[in-house]
Amino acid sequence: MKAIFKRELRSYFLTMTGYIFLTMFLLLAGLLFCLFNLAGSVTSVKGVLGLLTTWEAFILPILTMRMFAEDRRLKTDQLLMTAPVPVKSVVLGKFFAAFAMVTGALLIMLLYTVTLAFFGTVNWAETISSFAGFWLLCGVILAIGAFMSALTDSMIVAAFSTYAVLIVTVFLGNIAAVASGVLQSVLLWLSPMSRFDDFGRGILDPSALVYYISLIVLFIVLTVKVTERRRFA
Amino acid sequence: MIEVKNLVKHFGDKKAVNDISFTVNDNEVLGFLGPNGAGKSTTMNMLTGYISMTSGEIKICGIDILENPIEAKKKIGYLPEQPPLYPEMTVREYLSFAAELKGVKNIKKEIDAAARKVGLTEVMSRRVGNLSKGYKQRTGFCAALLGNPEVLILDEPTVGLDPNQIIEMRGLIKSLGREHTVILSSHILTEISAVCDRVLIINDGRIIAEDTPKNLAGRGGKAKRIIIRVDGGDDAVSAVLDGLDGVTYSKLGEGGEYEINISNASKDAGKKLFFAFAKAELPILEQREEERSLEDIFIELTKGDK
Repeated sequence: MKAIFKRELRSYFLTMTGYIFLTMFLLLAGLLFCLFNLAGSVTSVKGVLGLLTTWEAFILPILTMRMFAEDRRLKTDQLLMTAPVPVKSVVLGKFFAAFAMVTGALLIMLLYTVTLAFFGTVNWAETISSFAGFWLLCGVILAIGAFMSALTDSMIVAAFSTYAVLIVTVFLGNIAAVASGVLQSVLLWLSPMSRFDDFGRGILDPSALVYYISLIVLFIVLTVKVTERRRFA
Repeated sequence: MIEVKNLVKHFGDKKAVNDISFTVNDNEVLGFLGPNGAGKSTTMNMLTGYISMTSGEIKICGIDILENPIEAKKKIGYLPEQPPLYPEMTVREYLSFAAELKGVKNIKKEIDAAARKVGLTEVMSRRVGNLSKGYKQRTGFCAALLGNPEVLILDEPTVGLDPNQIIEMRGLIKSLGREHTVILSSHILTEISAVCDRVLIINDGRIIAEDTPKNLAGRGGKAKRIIIRVDGGDDAVSAVLDGLDGVTYSKLGEGGEYEINISNASKDAGKKLFFAFAKAELPILEQREEERSLEDIFIELTKGDK
């Protein structure tokens, strides 16, 4: 897994992918930070992160679209699948490399908050909780993206199918708002974006933590199964 | 050692590999020969664990590829038809990655040794995407050699190489065959004859012949092919040949050259042919018996199913 993690992480910077992702993410985060925190004299970043939850659904597939689809196009999956390495190590190595990119971007973003501490009082519990929730939500999106990439040979198809799934996910909360009764409860329970609200309030809700981690594990397991199943096709 | 028993692979309704069994002994080079779509690459992909079989059994050095894939894969070095290369990496980076995947201990030393063997040392710092086809092929071959695997599976290893490189590569494969079990697939029949100890001809997913290149070329029993050049008219030559038993012939070009195939020929068939023409007072200017090549056998064995 270590070899695959290192190669994937390095390949983000050997190609344009890593630079495009970091530019888009940090530009957007910086813009929102300037508008909400600097211009509004607000020390809480939960608003910025709340808005980013929608935007990240469009940015993170940049990291995942080539994850497996590109390997099949270049036939490099033959190197990975004939090496003495379990499929789950291949999947985890690729997933953690993408997660490391997101983690790096979030650490840079955390510096924005640290600078705020020089000019006002930062609620650190709320900040850390918001970042933790956002980080896990990114993990869910990456796991969904990895799964979609494992289903196809085309990066474009992988990207657009991920966007399709994520758009539905993003709007689950909005659909829930116009629904009522049991349907509303079910839609809200399913919506990963709605779960972020508690993190934004500084609450580390165990059920939300378990929910996010379960979704990550579920999509990683599905990715492993799809990749293994291809061998039997 | 490789043992394959009753191997079957279906792709939907199509049987790509249909109940094949064979064994490759230690330090033996086995050639895989067959037309496009015969099932060579599919068989190789199953041997390496890249795809799974529908039924059957594969053992690599006694280890079942399905029951213990990781241990079986440790024994294999694989060069697929299209080398699996990352264009953005340098050759050294790529080989380091391949070595790490295989769990090689002394990575630098092994890479340098394998690169020397395949003639890759001068391009180690170049990007894989910028390499010529020949160097890409060598990079893939070098990666297959890392970890000194007991079994080497090479799918068309000389594709893209120039004639000198092909000769070098054949020599290398032959020398590797002294220490490794090698399976080699190729469309180039002379390559198979030159490198392999044994040949397996596969067509429509089935093994249709298995023997040494020499024995395969000797197949065809007592049939003989003789090329003659006669100083005489077509009608006169035809009259002589029509009078001989078991002879079929065809004219080759305009120079009075004929290809004569004699079925069930005796040892002195050439002599009889000579005297028949002498009797008709038609001088034979040139006469030679042609050995049946592996190519002839290959065409003969595979044309029936077309």
